[in-house]
This record gives sequence, C-alpha cells and structure tokens, in this order.
Amino acid sequence: MSKKIWLWAAPLVFIGVLFYWPLLKIIGVGLSANWFEVYFEPTTLKAIWFTIWQAAVSTLIALLIGIPGAYVLYRKQFFGQRFIRALITVPLVLPTIVVAIVFSTFREIPAIPLIILAHVFVNYSLVVRTLGGVWATMDNETEEAAALAGAGRLRTTLQVTLPQLKPAIVSASALTFLFCSSSYGIILILGDGQVQSVETQIATAALQFLDLNKAAALALLQTLITVVAFSISEAIAKHPIGLEQVAESTRKPGLDSRDWPAVAVTAIAVLAMIATPMFIVLAKAFTFDGALSLQNFLNLAGRGDRELLNISVWQATLNTLRNVAISASIAVVLGALVSYLLSRTHRTRRARFSNRALDVLFLIPIGISSVVLGFGYLITFGDGPLPIRASWLVVPIVQALMALPLVIRLIYPALISIGADHREAAALAGANSRQTWWHIESGIIRNVIFTAIGFAVIAGIGEFGAASLLAFGDQATLPTVLYALISRPGSSNYGMAMAVSAILILLTFILVFTASARIPRRRRSSALK
Amino acid sequence: MFKKFAPIAAAGVIALALTACAPMGDATPTEVTVVTHDSAVFTDDVIAEFKSQTGITIKQIKAGDTGAMTNKLVLTKEAPIGDVVYGIDNTFSGVAIENEIIDGELAPVNFGDVCFNYDKAWFANNEQPAPTSIKDLTKPAFKGLTVLTNPTTSSPGLAFLAATVDVFGENGWEQYWTALKANEVKVAAGWEDAYFTEFSGSSGKGAYPIVLSYSSSPAFEVRDSGDFAGESQTASIDDGCFRQTEYVGVLKKAKNPAAAKKLAEFLLTEPFQKTLADNMYVYPILGTVELPKAWADFAPPAKNTFGGSLDISKNRKVWLTKWSEIFAVN
Repeated sequence: MSKKIWLWAAPLVFIGVLFYWPLLKIIGVGLSANWFEVYFEPTTLKAIWFTIWQAAVSTLIALLIGIPGAYVLYRKQFFGQRFIRALITVPLVLPTIVVAIVFSTFREIPAIPLIILAHVFVNYSLVVRTLGGVWATMDNETEEAAALAGAGRLRTTLQVTLPQLKPAIVSASALTFLFCSSSYGIILILGDGQVQSVETQIATAALQFLDLNKAAALALLQTLITVVAFSISEAIAKHPIGLEQVAESTRKPGLDSRDWPAVAVTAIAVLAMIATPMFIVLAKAFTFDGALSLQNFLNLAGRGDRELLNISVWQATLNTLRNVAISASIAVVLGALVSYLLSRTHRTRRARFSNRALDVLFLIPIGISSVVLGFGYLITFGDGPLPIRASWLVVPIVQALMALPLVIRLIYPALISIGADHREAAALAGANSRQTWWHIESGIIRNVIFTAIGFAVIAGIGEFGAASLLAFGDQATLPTVLYALISRPGSSNYGMAMAVSAILILLTFILVFTASARIPRRRRSSALK
Repeated sequence: MFKKFAPIAAAGVIALALTACAPMGDATPTEVTVVTHDSAVFTDDVIAEFKSQTGITIKQIKAGDTGAMTNKLVLTKEAPIGDVVYGIDNTFSGVAIENEIIDGELAPVNFGDVCFNYDKAWFANNEQPAPTSIKDLTKPAFKGLTVLTNPTTSSPGLAFLAATVDVFGENGWEQYWTALKANEVKVAAGWEDAYFTEFSGSSGKGAYPIVLSYSSSPAFEVRDSGDFAGESQTASIDDGCFRQTEYVGVLKKAKNPAAAKKLAEFLLTEPFQKTLADNMYVYPILGTVELPKAWADFAPPAKNTFGGSLDISKNRKVWLTKWSEIFAVN
C-alpha cells in the first residue's frame, strides 16, 4: 500500500502543480466579486443557450446518421469497407483548426448550420466507431431468434439490438456533446467572431476585455457542463468509457437488399458530408491563380503574404513535432502509470471510492478548455515561484495535460477488461505482481499503448486554444500558424492554409488506413464494455 | 525495480523540465525584441541601418491585432515577451497606461485616418453615384455594398465605432449601426480580410465596392493601364473618419532596457519614418519626411476626424457589448 502511494506521487504532482494550481488561481480570481451575476447577463445567457442547443442538435444528427453507419460499416461486411472506415476516421483525427478551414470553403451556408455541419463531420466517426465496436462483437443469436420468431428487421433492431447498444450510444453521445460544447476553433472561425458560445465568450472576456472575473465564472460553468455530461454517461454505461474497440467476429453477413435504407443514409453521409468537403480542400490546395499548380506548397517555405508569420510553416511544423514528442511521452508514461494504479482496486468500499475520486481527478482536464488552461498559465506562471510561462516547454506540458485523460480512458478500461482471472491464475502459480505485469498484462495491452500514443500525438498536433495564448514568436505551432493564415487572407495566405490542410488530410488518411491494416483482426483488448 | 524507480524517474523528468525553463538572464545586448501587431513591417534596410548604428539586431514578434497584442502584453507584464512595443494606438493606449506596462512614456510614431474607400470603377460601371458620407451607407441605394471590420477583433473597426459614437452621439450610434445591419453590411474579422478579400477595388476583387480602410489606401490602387491608368481606382470618403495614432514604448521589466530605449528612439528618426508610407500605409509623425508622389495626389489625410476626444478605454467594453448584441448571429 505504501509503495502505491509513492507511485501516485509523480502523476499527482504533475497534475496538481501544472493543472489544478492554475485552475484554482483562475477560480480564485474569478470568484472575487459579483461572479454570479455574469450568468444572468443577456449575452451570457444567449451564449449558454447556444452552446447547449447546438451541441444537442449536433449530437442528435451525428447519432441519427451514425447508427445506420455503424450497422453498415461494422455489422456487415463488404468490399472497400476498410477504406471507408479509414476515410470517416480522418475528420475525427484532423486538427479542429483544419476542420474549420475545410468548412470555411462553404461560406454561402449561414454560420450556425455550418458550425453544426462541421461538428457532425468530426463526430460522425466517433459515433460509428463506438457503436460499431460493440455491434461488431455482439453475438447475433438473439437477433436471429427474434427473426425466426417472425419479427421484422426494423422491430428486431428497435427491440433487440438498440437496447443492447444503449451503453455505447450513451457514451458516444456524451463524448460528442462534450466535443461540441467545448468547441472553440470551429466556432471562432466559422462564426466570424459573431457567434458566441461559452468558449468564445471566455476567450473574449479574457483576451479582449481583460475581464478575469467573467472569464473565470464562465470557465467554471464550462467545467460543470463537462462533469455533468460525463457523470450521466458513466452512470448509464456503468463501466469506464473507452474510445477504441476491437475483437470483431470474423464472419459477418454481407449486405442484402433489405439493408438499403441504412446503405443509402451511409452513402450520402460519407459522400456528401465527409468526402466532398475534404476533396474541395485538396482541389483548392492544388489551384493557384485559377490554374493547376504546386505554388501553394512552394509558398510554405516562406512566411506568407506581407511576411505575416513570424516563422515559416515548415519551422512551425518542426515546433509542433518537437512539442508532440514531449507531450505524448509525458502523457503516455503518466497515463499508463495512473491506469495501472487505478486498475489495482481493492474490493473495499473505501478503496473503490478513493479510486473513483482519483479517476475523476485525472478526467477533469478533458473538460477544461485549453483556452482556459492557457489563460491560467498566463496568470499563474508569469512570475511567482515557478516562472515558466516564457519557456517553450509550457505548450507541450499543456498538450500532455489535455492528452492524459484520453490516454487513461484507453488504457484503464483495457486493463480492467483483462480481468482478475489472469492475475489470479498467475498469483496461484506463484508469480508476484511485478512478474504478472511484465509477462501477462504488458503483452496484452501493448496494442492499447500504441493506440494511446496515437491519440496523444493527435491531441498534441491539433491543440490550438492554449498554443494561441502561449506560443509566441518563433515558437508558433502548426495550428496557430494556420489560424494566422486563414484569418489574414490574401490570395497566397489562403492557398497556403489549403495546402497545409491538404497535406494533413492525406497524411492522416494514410496513417489511419495503414494502422487499420496492420492490426490483427482478433486483437484481444476490448476496451469498450 | 520498475515500481521503485518509476515515481523517482517521473518526478525527475518534471523537475528537469521545470528547472530547464526557469528564466535565463539574457546578458547579450546584441538583440532587441520588438512586439508589434500583425501589420507592422521592418524592412531589411531598417534592420541593417539600426544594426550599423548600434550593433544591435532587431527581432520582431507579431502578436495579433492591436487589441490582442496590447492585452497579451498586459497578461504577460511580469515577464514581458519583448523589450519594445510598436503599434499600440490611441484606442488601446488607455489600457496600456492603466495596466502600467510601459516604462516611461508612449511616443507617437505614426498616424493614419480610418475612412471608407470606394471602388470608382464599380460605381462607374454600374452608373451609380458613389457615397459621400457615412450616412449614405444606410440608404437603400447602397444596400449590400459595404464591408467593414468587426470592432471586437480589428483596430480600424473599433476606430470607426468610436467615430460613430462621436458623430451620432451616445443616443444615436446604436440606431445608426442597426440601420447599417439592416442595409446588409458585411462584417469581416480583420482589415486584411475586408480589404484584400471582400473589397472589389483591390487585389482580391471581391464583391463589395465600399470598404472600411484608410485615407491612404487609394495610393496603393494606382493602375498602370486601363480606365484608371495613372490614377487610383479607389477613393476615400472624407466623412466619419477617425485619426488613429500609433505609439512606441519601452516595456517595463524589459530584459534589455538600454537597447530597447535605443530602438524606441531610432523608430522616431528618418531612416524608419520614411518607410512607413510605403510599407504600413500610414503617415510618418516626423514632419520633415517627404511622402511618395501617389500619396500627395490620391491619399491626403482626412480634413475632419471624429472620436479623438472620447475616453475609449473607459467605454470600449460597453460599446463593444452593445455592438455585439446588434450583430449577434445567435
């Protein structure tokens, strides 16, 4: 037990000093005066209402078209399925700033529908993958029995299948809702600064008006929304929610004529909503002055029209890669450690309670917008005992904090799903706990660790809110440079933004597709229960 | 083993990370960092001239639009991101002074007049008279023809907002903006977006023939050929203009105050002042500097300017909140 306390020290110090300290500082500043009144200002109420309803609508649409998608892409089997799965995963993995750039090419659509469309674009694959993972592994005996008993396809789906999918639906909805309610870059760019959500209000209050009170009060509210969404989903799902699914049954039925409604919905979603926007960006990237050209890509070595950027796009890319290498290492090492410790639960009530508390403690960063955290860094680490604000290391540190909950969400459920069986067997055979870890569990979770690294890297590459506050001058990252390019257009700046987006889209697709090809079909780590 | 060392190693990594980024006293006086807004340009000639005079290299950090830059400097004033600030204007100087980010005084370095421009070619082609006042912009004849900038994210936008408060009074300006909105003005996030992308009279060849810009902008639209050979395709509307004065100042707690002072003084001298018109579209504060010929012909300063006497830093938040309510999309 005492050993365990020592092991907890590193992650607790990390998250305590670098997350909870600035957070408490913001809260302290915010709650100094009149903070409660902020919530009743008409602009705030409007922003809160917009945040909630657009997130709810985006989630609902993503679910409605995602359920048939999960059925077609995971329950059934057809040629080209893996290609389409990889294709729809790209939006989930792309930096949100790139998603915003992709949809900024549809300026004719009014801002709010465009924002919702962009949110659905990102979360469609989250819904499809989460549901698909369960659906693919669900045994179909009950369904077949129902069919034999004369139930129609629709009735079977509604009465037999959907109830079984309920936990997955709830967790996918919760994650989608969270993403949409804390969305910043997409609303900032597609809303042209005129659509106000809680997140953009936080940024406006902090950065435009230096109104720390209001920023902190709103940050508190944002956190509350997150905690509530997560609590509801975990209460219903009854198990920690993971993000990755595996272990598909090898034999699945092909598509048949009765599947046409699901196929139609999915085809339209994939073609119109996912493929077309990305294709348009590719087309624009290769167009310069109305002709097919590589000029936009050549321009990336420079600093844009009127020397807009402090550094070239390539230099910003190097900064991003360096930051990500650091942040992913921290997040995966600490995340694995925390998951390991969390999975060693004693069966006493008290132990379970403290475990739950620790779990939440490490989960909360996922609900704090990186804008808030960046802001907290500005006011906490500028001077005082730890004056690290001016260092380039703050950006990777914040990125690590953002990735940490994701990593834990991946590894912790996997460790639990391994179950006590193996450990007990090993213990009976005389192995101590360290041997058990090395010989049994590390092998089993290796794949999950790789996935976790992937997610940490993705989260780091795309992180925009904190970097926009903390990465100055020659420390600019790829997303901050992209934002500068898209918000200060001129023909070549716009083209450069398209070129970078095109590179990221293609790279992401290749990575996702090859990763899905390399993973053996019967991988043993069902993270999502 | 693993268990024993893991926390120590992890704690070590953190400690290392933290000590590695403790501020290091930069003792070399060979570089000075100037924080600017995104539109500021220091030409190679200027940088070379300063280097030959003082042996110091200028490093420029662009920190967003004027508002974002000023606020960043306020938030980081305990450990500033540079030594000198260039480009805080009279709409934000109050913020800088209140928050005591400047060591000494802010010195005026340039000025420009924020005015509407229109595309002469567009109005000629459509056989329609061009607008002559900012009131015209609310008339049906000019419906859907104007692009301006969001005052919350752009300094010319804020300047024009202040001008309207002065022109129409505390009780009338909201009405004016409501009428502008009803007349379908387009609101761009920043000046570059409005001028280079949406405006029909510049390189972007956008859809809007009237744009919020500067009285000096027409000097940059002089054509070599076509209908407007030898003259400007655009003209400025001399009404409702706001005189924007930009300042330079040494930042408190600058790492390199001596070099910072030298640079701040240098920016007020001829070698820098003579580059302002061509590179930043603003008038030099130094009266002895000769303006380019196109400026004298097509880009005179506004005859009347508005809003200069208002207390902008005190009222900014109230104005912007009201403006945001008028233009709220959601």
